[in-house]
Amino acid sequence: MRVRDLSISYGAEPVLEGVDIGVGEGQFVSLVGPSGSGKSSLLRAVIGLQKPLDGSIELDVPSTDIGILFQDDALLPWKTARENVALGLTFRGIKKDEALAQADFWLARLGLAGFENRFPRRLSGGQRKRVALAQVLALKPKLILMDEPFASLDAIVRARVIQDVVALVEREHISVLLVTHDLEEALWLSDTIYLLSQGPHAHITREYNVPIPRPRDLIRARKHPAFAPLYEKLWRDLSREVGAAPRLVASDADAA
Amino acid sequence: MNKRPYAWVRQLAAFAILLAIWEASGRAGLLNPLYAPAPSQIAAALVDLFGSGRIWTHMEATFTAALGGLALGILIGVAVAIVAAMVPLVAELVEPVMTLLNAIPRVILAPLFVIWLGIGTSSKVALAVVLVAVLMFFTVFTGIRQVDQRLVERIITLGGGRVALIRHVYLPSVAAWVMGSLKVAIGFAFTGAVVGEFVAASRGLGYLLSFAQSTYNAALMLAIVLLIMIVVLVIFALGGLLERRLLRWS
Repeated sequence: MRVRDLSISYGAEPVLEGVDIGVGEGQFVSLVGPSGSGKSSLLRAVIGLQKPLDGSIELDVPSTDIGILFQDDALLPWKTARENVALGLTFRGIKKDEALAQADFWLARLGLAGFENRFPRRLSGGQRKRVALAQVLALKPKLILMDEPFASLDAIVRARVIQDVVALVEREHISVLLVTHDLEEALWLSDTIYLLSQGPHAHITREYNVPIPRPRDLIRARKHPAFAPLYEKLWRDLSREVGAAPRLVASDADAA
Repeated sequence: MNKRPYAWVRQLAAFAILLAIWEASGRAGLLNPLYAPAPSQIAAALVDLFGSGRIWTHMEATFTAALGGLALGILIGVAVAIVAAMVPLVAELVEPVMTLLNAIPRVILAPLFVIWLGIGTSSKVALAVVLVAVLMFFTVFTGIRQVDQRLVERIITLGGGRVALIRHVYLPSVAAWVMGSLKVAIGFAFTGAVVGEFVAASRGLGYLLSFAQSTYNAALMLAIVLLIMIVVLVIFALGGLLERRLLRWS
């Protein structure tokens, strides 16, 4: 997947301007940037929910091979976990029984065996996130777009879900474009990280390669010699972007 | 809400004590039976209504009007709301009318319906329909506009089309809103039926009430009020069962 010279606008001023990013096959790419830099808009443009003002989006895979994981899990509250997961499969013309069987398989794979017939309301935040993940994975996507999918989870659950995502994505050789403002998360998961400047007129200011070998393990990744320096560098660059925000007072920018 | 345990025991006891005081005052001659008949007299009136069998025709009339009006009102209200939500022109034309109907006490239309439809069941059904349909229209119309866009986008990104959206997002949402205002609608439907009968009828609980009024029969009046309360409570319970069945996910 390749995004070239992309601009997105909601009003007079473009949120994003001249953005270039690429996601290679099996690559995990993160897009980090301050809030309001148009990160989500970029994902929405790729999936076709948002019309870009300018630029092009080249997909090497058919749009049916793209999955998207939103910040909120957006499960249908009136359907059980397995019915939610089976939904996308039935849209592809798979018979309901077969779709439900596949849904059970993916739920079990994500550690949710025994929770198939629960309604979303009766699942925890982490479990709902896993159901949403199963919903996407069941469609066997080649590319997954993730819009801050782990933001709402508490620390321990978040680490476990991220570890599962790393393992699955590595094994299934899925390409991922993740949008996040969490640097640690980006470092854990990515091969490449793009830094987006403060919006409006947000654009890519830097690109970083993460040399931590795969398969990755969260604890070991953190101990890798490249982790801490890269984290610091990212943090400094991101702080500078946030500090460049006109609305921020000087003392806030210094503290950051 | 009262979260203390066994609230119903205390409520029931208080009610029993109140009844006992009422009954005692009646028997002691402290209350004029013409205005405030004792509970035993009300019970006697109730027993007489059922014993003579003349209550059934009245109950049948009221039930037919209320339940018919409820069903038709929900159907019309939901249908108009869905069409209005999909066709902007319909919304433009219908919304002001509904707002106006919502603003006025709709029971004032009762005499008009009698002129138009006669003193039979249809004028009572019409009144119940107007009461229920306006309520349902606003419930569903505002509901459809507030459908969770994240769910809509989820269905689209999973590859679902228009039919899938209606089936998996809009219909369940509509069902939830309808169930949510069902109790109010039941109350409205009975209001429509009884008030309609009150205005002009030859049968029905409302007619019986108006008859009791003209004959200064307070015991009969209170007996009918009690009967209507019981009936509505039973229907509420049935509605609650349906709600639990349909909204078991919530």
